Amino acid sequence: MDDVGVVASEFATVRVSLDTQGNSPRLRLEDLRSGAVRFLDALELESIVWAPEGFLRELLDPSRHRWRDDGSEGCGP
Amino acid sequence: MTAAAQHIVDGTPAPQEHTAAPGDPIPLAEAEAFLYREARLADAWELEAWEALWTDDATYYVPVDDSADPRTTMSIIFDNRNRIATRIKQLRTGKRHAQRPLSRLCRSVTNVEVLDHEGGDTVVTSVVQVLESRDRGSTWWVGRVTHRLRRVDGAVRMAAKKVVLVDSDRALPSMSFLL
Amino acid sequence: MSTAELTGDLRSRVRPDRVHGSLYTDPDVYARELERIWYSTWVYVGHTSEVPQPNDYVRKHIGPQQVVLTRDRTGAIHVLHNRCSHRGNLVCDADRGNSSSFRCPYHGWTFANTGELLGFPFNQGYGGAQAKERLSGLGAAPRVESYRGFVFASLAAEGPTLREHLGAAAERIDQLCRLSPEGEVELTAGWVRHEVTANWKMLVENETDGYHPQFVHSSIFSISGSGIGALYSDKSTAVTRALGGGHSENDLSPEFRRLGVPMGWSGTPESKIPDYAAAMRATYGAETGDEIMINGSPHVMIFPNLFIAEIQLFVIQPVAVDRTVQHVTAIQFAGAPDLNRRLVTQCVGSVGPAGMLLADDAEMYERNQRGVAQRQPEWLDLSRGLARERTDEHGFTVGTATDETSMRAMWAHYLTLMDPA
Repeated sequence: MDDVGVVASEFATVRVSLDTQGNSPRLRLEDLRSGAVRFLDALELESIVWAPEGFLRELLDPSRHRWRDDGSEGCGP
Repeated sequence: MTAAAQHIVDGTPAPQEHTAAPGDPIPLAEAEAFLYREARLADAWELEAWEALWTDDATYYVPVDDSADPRTTMSIIFDNRNRIATRIKQLRTGKRHAQRPLSRLCRSVTNVEVLDHEGGDTVVTSVVQVLESRDRGSTWWVGRVTHRLRRVDGAVRMAAKKVVLVDSDRALPSMSFLL
Repeated sequence: MSTAELTGDLRSRVRPDRVHGSLYTDPDVYARELERIWYSTWVYVGHTSEVPQPNDYVRKHIGPQQVVLTRDRTGAIHVLHNRCSHRGNLVCDADRGNSSSFRCPYHGWTFANTGELLGFPFNQGYGGAQAKERLSGLGAAPRVESYRGFVFASLAAEGPTLREHLGAAAERIDQLCRLSPEGEVELTAGWVRHEVTANWKMLVENETDGYHPQFVHSSIFSISGSGIGALYSDKSTAVTRALGGGHSENDLSPEFRRLGVPMGWSGTPESKIPDYAAAMRATYGAETGDEIMINGSPHVMIFPNLFIAEIQLFVIQPVAVDRTVQHVTAIQFAGAPDLNRRLVTQCVGSVGPAGMLLADDAEMYERNQRGVAQRQPEWLDLSRGLARERTDEHGFTVGTATDETSMRAMWAHYLTLMDPA
């Protein structure tokens, strides 16, 4: 696994690495404040590149996935 | 005064049996004695004696951001040897208004450790706490100090002194004494 | 006349040739200044070079107000109040960063760097995500404009435009930018923050007071062989000029032109910055390039808080009636790396808490603040040069290098804001 680095601001801290365990490389994102991990494959990354701005804005709404009233958390990897 | 008496009066190390070579590490006790002497001279406004403690290539550095490059970033003080001399000369004019009258100072130097020996210099860390009293009020200055000490012609001199104030990046009142 | 009788009546405290000492010490005056000057007129906030990339932000201030200067995804600049719309918590802690959105640490309310509310955790308590429509985002300065990268904000929705506010002072910003071979200034050298126990106007008045340098700074002038002292003498051809709008300058360029040496104003001979001099002549042509380098950099106080002093830039921040923070950085010119390094070195020696110039100025501000608290004779004199002022060919009031023309003009403008007739 190649460590790319830590992407951090005062609001979040995420370790980014390139995971090569699978049959193709994947991006591994680890939220260092909670330990949660998410893998993103090439097609997923490409889809994010092409997603409209509103897509990310929706993700940034805390109630959207992480802090939901129904207790369900955002899906893991 | 004999060397032994000097040692008793101000802690100046008595001459060693063997002469230390210029590049030899400076032992903790000798480093401590140097730091205390420097502190005492600065507190007492012994400008000439304090200035004589520096080597010819010295730097005196009080950063705002210790991780930044002082050649391209603002610092509180970043003096080469020439500018140290200018600072002293300015104080000696008697017209350095920020020091009219002189601040009353008393500082303690603690937590002294010899950290490293590199390129013939001994790297010493310490903590300084200075109480500065002026008409405007009293200010408590606290910082982590790094000295690079070097033996020149048998005497310990400082080639570099860096003081990282605890509140270096906050708004600070004037600090026109020798830190 | 006692201070008590003056309450609320500012016109009686500001006269053409003197001002009343209470203007520096009266908390009611300070409160009114915040409302009518700092939270109404254009105040300098920061520079676009401090937020070069999309989603960059820096924490800044408008007097005691904490604000965040942001550049959004599209490149637009915003000035936001650092206050969560939920419970009023501070949202940003870091001095600078890059983030498209800000999340309050208290309950997780999240805002775009335009100030828009993006959401909050567990939104059923508010009736669902649509509650965003009725809840407010971060407060934003209603007017934000920049001039050649200098970003100003006004917390009043209406008033003169920035260009109207700057007036002739804009030309001084032009003069500064022309010293860059790329025509741009960059404020990338970081800041030193120097706090003084004095009212903010003590600083504003001192910035273009040409009477004090030969006294306050004689210690450094005498040992450094600096020619600055001579620029501020009665023999000097330099002038003090009121630029309108409370702005003023010490125009030293007549002296620099008399000297006729490129970079003579800067204290750095051209021989030490050959790349810079070559780049200037390449950009502007040999003749104009020389002219720009001879004329030098402005020494201008842009009311109420931006002071450009040749090689350094100060931002004045009042934090209480008797406390002011002066933020200072070395001006950096785009395309001039060799000059820029020297400017940092020179600036660090002069300014800030240990500065060989500014610590002495600060001592004077503080002594002045203690002095004006004394009861008699109540007034501060402003009459120096009043009888010899003239109007120059552009219609500006001009005094000699040591006259108090700039202070009188500042106070006249002050009255128009504080106590409109």
